[in-house]
Amino acid sequence: MERAARPLNFLIVEDEPLISMDIEMMVEDAGHHVIAIAAALDEVEALPDGKAPNVALVDMHLARGSTGLDVNSYVQVRWPNAIIVFVTANPQKIPQDFAGAHGVIAKPFSLAGFMSAVQYLEEVVCNPPPVSAPPGSFVASEAFAAFREAP
Amino acid sequence: MDEQEDWHLTDALHHEQGRGDPFAAAVRATRMPMIITDPNRSDNPIVFANAAFQKLTGYSREELIGHNCRLLQGEETDPEAVDRIRKAVAQGEDVAIDILNYRKDGTAFWNALYLSPVRDHTGEIQFFFASQLDVTARVDAHTRVAREKRRIEEEVNKRTADLRAALEAQKLLLHEVDHRVKNNMTMIGSILRLQLREIDDPDFSARLRAMMGRIDALATVHRRLYQSDDVTRFDIGAFAANLAGDLVQASGHRDIRIMTDLRRADVSIEQASALGLIVNEILSNCIRHAFTAGEEGQITIVARQENDQVRLSIADNGIGSSQGDQVPAGLGGIIISRLSRQAGAQIKWASCASGTRADLTITVGAVWNAPPDH
Repeated sequence: MERAARPLNFLIVEDEPLISMDIEMMVEDAGHHVIAIAAALDEVEALPDGKAPNVALVDMHLARGSTGLDVNSYVQVRWPNAIIVFVTANPQKIPQDFAGAHGVIAKPFSLAGFMSAVQYLEEVVCNPPPVSAPPGSFVASEAFAAFREAP
Repeated sequence: MDEQEDWHLTDALHHEQGRGDPFAAAVRATRMPMIITDPNRSDNPIVFANAAFQKLTGYSREELIGHNCRLLQGEETDPEAVDRIRKAVAQGEDVAIDILNYRKDGTAFWNALYLSPVRDHTGEIQFFFASQLDVTARVDAHTRVAREKRRIEEEVNKRTADLRAALEAQKLLLHEVDHRVKNNMTMIGSILRLQLREIDDPDFSARLRAMMGRIDALATVHRRLYQSDDVTRFDIGAFAANLAGDLVQASGHRDIRIMTDLRRADVSIEQASALGLIVNEILSNCIRHAFTAGEEGQITIVARQENDQVRLSIADNGIGSSQGDQVPAGLGGIIISRLSRQAGAQIKWASCASGTRADLTITVGAVWNAPPDH
């Protein structure tokens, strides 16, 4: 499997504009690109082909009745190599097996917590195994472990 | 053959007259309804019915003699009960059973029937002897009790369901409130971080960062409380270690190591926020002042619990002591002194050449109980 290189492409799916703006800036501070911000599933579906996201940060509660789980299923089909991380205040709504997603960053997050999670994700995506210890702000799924161990 | 005739003979006698068999006279006169049937005749007919039986059923002797007992059965008589009696008769056994019977006038009564075979010296069944008792009142009482019991059970079930629904609603509400608090805290954090990007003044920006740190500490308290299964306890040692990791990460001092020696140290949730802010001030002060950038440092966190006393010690091996300002100045210091009174915590500072240490002694559950520390 070919490894992505820095800077990574991020897709942000979040219905709260201030929070998505904050996340966007933190991701850019970490040296990565935000290719799109979507507030609901239909906006993700409407994204043009072109740049594929390496990482999708997905809120659970989204606009127009769609959920992070809907987006999770869609992203897995359209961009099978993307790492999907839920960013939610509602981690209880995530199924036990994460529905194939790779982990969760619980809200409310701190600047440090968020940045260390992004740093860790970058190490896993670009150059596994990661040198940093998994940060407390990021909970990984089994799918993520498989991703991390993949040759 | 003549036993039967004897019965008829006896039947014809008047016990008042003192003649005949005294046992037969007793059976005739007792208030207990009794009959005798003859299984050796076709259809096991009644051959004797005492006065009490005639009174109970409303049938005269002439209407009873020669007929099978089934004339007492009616519409709502339980066929299973009838079957049990039939089997007992066929097998020559005793039977005791409550059966719904009907009088001649059609009214029903509950009959506590006791039936047993009477054998001769060879063991052959000669007769069946049956006593009856009108237990309508008792059965009615039972039925009433059973009905009442069922009603109460239904009521209890209904109320239990109501309570369950209320509990579910409460849980949903708690979940909703928790979710809103977390979303709002996320939003506050986002707003402050966005604002911070517009500020050039380093002093102002440092103050805003300290503010964000305090809000992050509160958010961490909330997250740790609601992610655990038990919202009534809050482990202050585990919280301090969690927060220290976040703060070191945020400071960019990658060469500060955090050493922990933690045992379970639970404080009450009323103390959680205040103690969370205090620990945040101590840790951020120590990260800000104790270490020189680029040099290795160490923060040691020790937590212990003994009965209702929790001890938390946060120590660094930095240079803070040489500056003599181990107690944080400004708002940080005020937060520590005010909130420690509120949270029932006492803080001792110790400084020496090898660093600074803050020892917190917390009385679990004590809010506003500790004496003022100045």
